[in-house]
Amino acid sequence: MFFLKEEIKVITLHPSYFGPNMREYLINRLNEEEEGRCTGDHFVICVMDMVDIGEGRVLPGLGQAEYTIKYRAIIWKPFRGETVDAIVTSVKPTGIFTLAGPLSVFIARKNIPSDIKWEPNTVPPQYTDHADQVIEKGTSLRLKILGVKPDVAAINAIGTIKEDYLGPL
Amino acid sequence: MSRSVMDNDFGSEEEDDDFNPGQAEDSGEEDNRQSARRGRHDEEDEDDDDDVNTGRGPRHRAGSEDDVRGRGHADEEEDEEEEEEDEEEAEEDADEAEEAEDDDEDANAGRPRKRRKRPGVHSFFEEEAGVDEEEDEAEDEEDELAEFGGEMHPDDMDALPVGAETDDRRHRQLDRQREMAASMDAEKQAQMLKERYGRNRAAATDAVVVPKRLLLPSVDDPSIWGVRCKAGKEREVVFSIQKRIEERPPGSRNPIKIYSAFERGGAMTGYIYVEARRQADVMEALQDMTNVYPRTKMILVPVREMPDLLRVQKSEELNPGGWVRIKRGKYQNDLAQIEEVETNGLAVTVRLVPRLDYGLNEDIGAPTADPKRKRPGMNPAVARPPQRAFSEAEAKKKHAKYLSATSGLGGKSWSYLGDTYVDGFLIKDLKVQHLITKSVNPRLEEVTMFARGSEDGTSNLDLASLAETLKNSTAEESYLPGDPVEVYRGEQQGLVGRTSSTRGDIVTLLVTEGDLAGQSIDAPVKSLRKRFREGDHVKVIGGSRYQDELGMVVQVKDDTVTLLSDMSMQEITVFSKDLRLSAETGVDGKLGMFDVHDLVQLDAATVACIVKVDRESLRVLDQNGSIRTILPTQVANKITPRKDAVATDRNGAEIRHGDTVREVYGEQRNGVILHIHRSFLFLHNKAQAENSGIVVVRTTNIVTVSAKGGRSNAPDLTKMNPALMRNGMPGSMMAPPQKSFGRDRMIGKTVMVRKGPFKGLVGIVKDSTDVQARVELHSKNKLVSIPKEILVVKDPVTGQTIDMSRGRGQRVPHGGSGGPPSAWNGGRTPIAAHDSSRTPAWGGPSSARTPAWGGAGSGSRTPAWKNDGSRTSNPYDGSQTAYGGLGSRTPAWNAGARTPYGGSGNSDFDAFASGSRTPAWGSGNTGNRTPAWSGSGSNDTKDRGYDAPTPGGNYSAPTPGAYGGAPTPGAWADSAPTPGAFNAPTPGDKRPYDAPTPAAWDSAGSRPYDAPTPAMGGTAATPGPGMYGDGDDGGPRYEEGTPSP
Repeated sequence: MFFLKEEIKVITLHPSYFGPNMREYLINRLNEEEEGRCTGDHFVICVMDMVDIGEGRVLPGLGQAEYTIKYRAIIWKPFRGETVDAIVTSVKPTGIFTLAGPLSVFIARKNIPSDIKWEPNTVPPQYTDHADQVIEKGTSLRLKILGVKPDVAAINAIGTIKEDYLGPL
Repeated sequence: MSRSVMDNDFGSEEEDDDFNPGQAEDSGEEDNRQSARRGRHDEEDEDDDDDVNTGRGPRHRAGSEDDVRGRGHADEEEDEEEEEEDEEEAEEDADEAEEAEDDDEDANAGRPRKRRKRPGVHSFFEEEAGVDEEEDEAEDEEDELAEFGGEMHPDDMDALPVGAETDDRRHRQLDRQREMAASMDAEKQAQMLKERYGRNRAAATDAVVVPKRLLLPSVDDPSIWGVRCKAGKEREVVFSIQKRIEERPPGSRNPIKIYSAFERGGAMTGYIYVEARRQADVMEALQDMTNVYPRTKMILVPVREMPDLLRVQKSEELNPGGWVRIKRGKYQNDLAQIEEVETNGLAVTVRLVPRLDYGLNEDIGAPTADPKRKRPGMNPAVARPPQRAFSEAEAKKKHAKYLSATSGLGGKSWSYLGDTYVDGFLIKDLKVQHLITKSVNPRLEEVTMFARGSEDGTSNLDLASLAETLKNSTAEESYLPGDPVEVYRGEQQGLVGRTSSTRGDIVTLLVTEGDLAGQSIDAPVKSLRKRFREGDHVKVIGGSRYQDELGMVVQVKDDTVTLLSDMSMQEITVFSKDLRLSAETGVDGKLGMFDVHDLVQLDAATVACIVKVDRESLRVLDQNGSIRTILPTQVANKITPRKDAVATDRNGAEIRHGDTVREVYGEQRNGVILHIHRSFLFLHNKAQAENSGIVVVRTTNIVTVSAKGGRSNAPDLTKMNPALMRNGMPGSMMAPPQKSFGRDRMIGKTVMVRKGPFKGLVGIVKDSTDVQARVELHSKNKLVSIPKEILVVKDPVTGQTIDMSRGRGQRVPHGGSGGPPSAWNGGRTPIAAHDSSRTPAWGGPSSARTPAWGGAGSGSRTPAWKNDGSRTSNPYDGSQTAYGGLGSRTPAWNAGARTPYGGSGNSDFDAFASGSRTPAWGSGNTGNRTPAWSGSGSNDTKDRGYDAPTPGGNYSAPTPGAYGGAPTPGAWADSAPTPGAFNAPTPGDKRPYDAPTPAAWDSAGSRPYDAPTPAMGGTAATPGPGMYGDGDDGGPRYEEGTPSP
């Protein structure tokens, strides 16, 4: 689910950057560092705007300036039970690896409908029900997230397509 | 465990005191017999029933034994098994009766009484017969005498009760019995027997029901003493007590006055417990007995704790289909399935996976076991054949004579070496005490062997029964507070909650759903199962070979949970009780210090990344991409990950730990860099199942896909700030710890201590380390270690302080080297740059020269020589060949010169000057002259000198063209080789030699020499110019020629 979240980031700036373009530099830095970041809990999709850059504070003894930037960002936090669209990145006998945006979701064999079978002999290998449903690398899937495992700087999820209205799009 | 012994009741007053005598006597007696028999036949008897029997009743033992032996009463024997059931109830009555007796026994304890002619009486028969034996006293005595033949040894008399000699009571009893039996018809008799021994609980409990608490011992009861004995010999001691009582039964001349003796193994090893009235009785009973130490301090067991001594743990219930393990023998610790339990619960038929070698390992020539070895098969567990289904084909090979087939109902069975094999399994009858019934914990792979018929073993497996067995072993540790559980059977079926505490087999859970939410409810472990939802992150905590595996739940079906392992991306099915919610993130395969994805050093040249951690071994992927299984001991050491390691990819871009890279050739695998080791990268690819996603690649074969944290490939500005760099640069890293060289100058010096306990004392330094000195104190004649910093060196004679800092102290700044002048350091950088820039310059010329020599000597020169006259074309050719042959023009101007030239501009004093020189003439910068000439001609700065000798200049001078053109090769020949040679080594210094260079001559206007030069002019085609001609117009060439004329 997507949220608009206000967050705070502290950036320290070397004195060599003190100058007219400091603001731009800070914004760049913020965008560069924050966008696409995964906290283990959510993904920062996009930094919307700065609420407040604040005044820089020179750190005693270092000469560096510390800026506390408040900004708003669009974040995505995947939830258990959430239905997302994903793209298949690889297909293995154990299941399907997909990418829903930045989130990698694994669909175990158990969570694939029994009529969709592993077909290793095709090129590329695929899961198919020998009718219109073919899942191979690059296929778009609609899946439901079954579980989310937060990691230090990543999120792993498992999903299922063994329900109505789920499966290849 | 305890062992029933005997008895007490030195005067038997049961006739008088027993209310409800029939019941009590009966059961007491049967017990006695039972226990006595067990004691005799069944040394291993683990049955706890005995505990209960011990304390009470055995007062008629001797008598009843006699009875059985003496008359061989068949009836009783048969019925004994049935009686067992009644015992429980009956014993209570007996106890009660005993208590009653005990009470008034106190008055006359231990005194044989007048009416004890009938000890060991089989009173049961008396009652049945309703005979008043008092009348028969006289006859009894006579009969008894007759029975013993009247000629007993006086010693033997000891064992007999007083008056036993003259007791023929039992004979008469038997007679009476027979008489009566004969008088009754069979039906009636059967009825009677049934009544008496039948499993009629109601009949047995007819007796007064006594609340249990009244049965508990009180202060009036005999005390129990704990007596030290040799650990492990408890049972032996109890047996010897029993024996002693048999020798000296109550009522004999020297009776043993204890009531009972028992032992409790387990935690109470080293003690036996004896029940008696007085401590002295215990002492006497245990006198001169081996392994027991009554003289040491005895422990009087408090009344309150007495019942605990006899508390019985309920024996394990064995059900067919359950799992047990074998205690010893060939099948020690093997899992067995119970086929059948005999009704008495003592013997069990089990099914085993045979371990047979079918005589294949029999070594005929082997020396017949070494005779010193007591039992050949003493340790069969060491080299026993593996578990394998019985194969008649194999058995027939060598042991056909031992094999015979029998066809039973359930299929074919084989008899082989005295054992029965059905369906490939060994069917064996075993005693319960040879089985381990508690915490069997069958593992899945063991159990699968028992799955009949199916190849993979899973389909046919009765998971339910397995789960049942496992339930029994469910200890409290498998439920931790906070585990989500579900009650799946019993009244509270369907309740869902979280455990809040566990006590033994009872789990308290806090209901989280439904009407009862918020309430705490107790439920037995057996009715609980853990509850998981799909997507839960769980850890396998035991019960299977997947222990410690982490994964996410994919499917939950009743008691089984399928999870997807984080490590192997494989699906694992385990029981929910073996799982626990895992809060851990990341992979948790650990073997000691090793973890999955660790980098380890296998030998000096090989490193490997751990891809799987098994119980005892590691699977690693080494740098060559091969998979090996190794033992932890084979790992030389673990390489701690260096997060700051940097490598470059194929394109020279910096790659670091955490970057995503892709292979260029081959399988184009990609992954995140896990380890960088020399030129090898260990990548982790989540989408790859094998090797837990680890791939090894070479740095030369990968390109960066994305750098971690969006690190741009552009140079980081922060790194360019020299002020910042000062801290981070390797050059200015902390100075290495100062090394001391040679002998410490302090050694042998007289020093005084400035501080500490030895303050003021003077001594001589005998030895020293960096910080400490061993000082021999003058005052104490003792060597002490003292930090050097608190020592002051003194002059031994004058006592004046000597400054030692000159030696070591002053070195410090020097050692620190870069220390003070950081500016200098910074300043140095350019110099270094200068230096480095110079290096190529130097290199340039020299390298340039080398070919030049070749070129001059063989290439260009030769042709010149060859065609003395026709210089025009030949040099051209010659030069062409020469230069062309040497490739890429002359290195002189090509290699060194050109590039720097562009960079450095025309500044003559540039470090590149030497190089730039060469191009100078090519560029025609200085006019169209030959560079060398122009160089010296037009410029007069002192640097010129410097420049002039530069290889370029020199080089140009001796260019083949010039010389080739020279009509006087001979004359030139002298100088010709020289310029190059001389100029080369020391351009700056060799001024004098510069002069002779053509340039010098030119400026000097030394015509004579010029004259030859025109020849050079003629050599418009000289290789040098010719070459330049490529880039330039022909002009310079001719010009070059022109000045000369």
